[in-house]
Amino acid sequence: MSDALSEDGSDINQDDSQEDVMTPAELIDKLEQAWLNEKFSPELLENRSEVVECVMEQLTHMEANLQRVKKGDAKAGFHRMEIDRIRYVLSSYLRSRLQKIEKYFPHVLEREKSLVEGQPSLLSPEEFAFAKEYYANTETYLKAVALKRMPPNLQAVDMLKAVPEPSLDSFVFLRVKERQENILIEPETDEQRDFVVDLEEGSQHLMRYRIVAPLVSSGAVQLI
Amino acid sequence: MDPSEVEFLAEKEFVKIIPNFSLDKIYLIGGDLGPFNPGLSVDVPVWLALNLKQRQKCRILPPEWMDVEKLEEIRELERKEDTFTPAPSPYYMELTKLLLNHASDNIPKADEIRTLVKDIWDTRVAKLRLSADSFIRQQEAHAQLDNLTLMEINTIREFLLDSLNCMYKLRSNLQPGATKGQFADY
Repeated sequence: MSDALSEDGSDINQDDSQEDVMTPAELIDKLEQAWLNEKFSPELLENRSEVVECVMEQLTHMEANLQRVKKGDAKAGFHRMEIDRIRYVLSSYLRSRLQKIEKYFPHVLEREKSLVEGQPSLLSPEEFAFAKEYYANTETYLKAVALKRMPPNLQAVDMLKAVPEPSLDSFVFLRVKERQENILIEPETDEQRDFVVDLEEGSQHLMRYRIVAPLVSSGAVQLI
Repeated sequence: MDPSEVEFLAEKEFVKIIPNFSLDKIYLIGGDLGPFNPGLSVDVPVWLALNLKQRQKCRILPPEWMDVEKLEEIRELERKEDTFTPAPSPYYMELTKLLLNHASDNIPKADEIRTLVKDIWDTRVAKLRLSADSFIRQQEAHAQLDNLTLMEINTIREFLLDSLNCMYKLRSNLQPGATKGQFADY
């Protein structure tokens, strides 16, 4: 599997404009990488709706084909098992995104608001609608249960302050897919000094998410 | 991550099976498999091999490293070295468990292999605990963990990462003017 992963990493930068040349197998690899990255990164990553849509298309297509196969066909069983496995990864991926949206909703929405023209949104349109609705519902709930019984000067609540931010200083485990040089590591204590490390392809590391965040989104490292 | 999810990833590894049925090539989304001919070995992912095995439609050939002599060598090397030696397979623990639980009749000396793999696992996890301990004691900011498998990382992940977060929280509260509230729990 590691071979497939590293091969795949090299074409990540090219495929934005020409997705159609990706084989279905590469597509599934992409989905799995997105799944693991999302699972292990402390913050919400950019949505990969192009991957999600393509996988959905593959699944629907395969299921339509299976409708036509008669019962008891051995091949159909294999296909169904594969579909179930892919569907599991897909829903686990989407679910972990929703969990993060629920956990960090004010910050996620704040970031969407501050987007400059042309900058990609972290959320898919559906996730954006979900986040907004979740925000509104939480606010209404807090008002109904507690806030409206408070003295008037204490009735306001700042969601941005009330909900903790994702902690980018968490440690993460990662595997390097493209060699990186001179990554600056800040020390834990004042007595120690800054130092740099080179990340060799295929090596595995433990370090703070903040340092590697740009590499995760560019696909140069894979969280594990 | 749940251990069953690590196992899920391990099930994507390929093993050789000898089917007892014939079937044309099948075109799965993740790649083509087959054709299947009785008596001829063919590579399939572990999830499919186990399913076929459970329906008694094939015999599973153990992976090359799943061999008493090779594992004994690895065990000795693992015990001798202070660092992690390359694991027999990135999913050795999961594959051993899956294959021995479902196809132990196809694997020669299954019990010995089970013990050997358990020994290798125990040695490696003991090393892992030691290095995690020194990582925390010396307050390191970076560690290289080559040759560790996903399952091994997974056994220590939550405990280690949570402890590191707690220590960070304690330390940043010690320093005056540090950003507060970032780690507040609600």
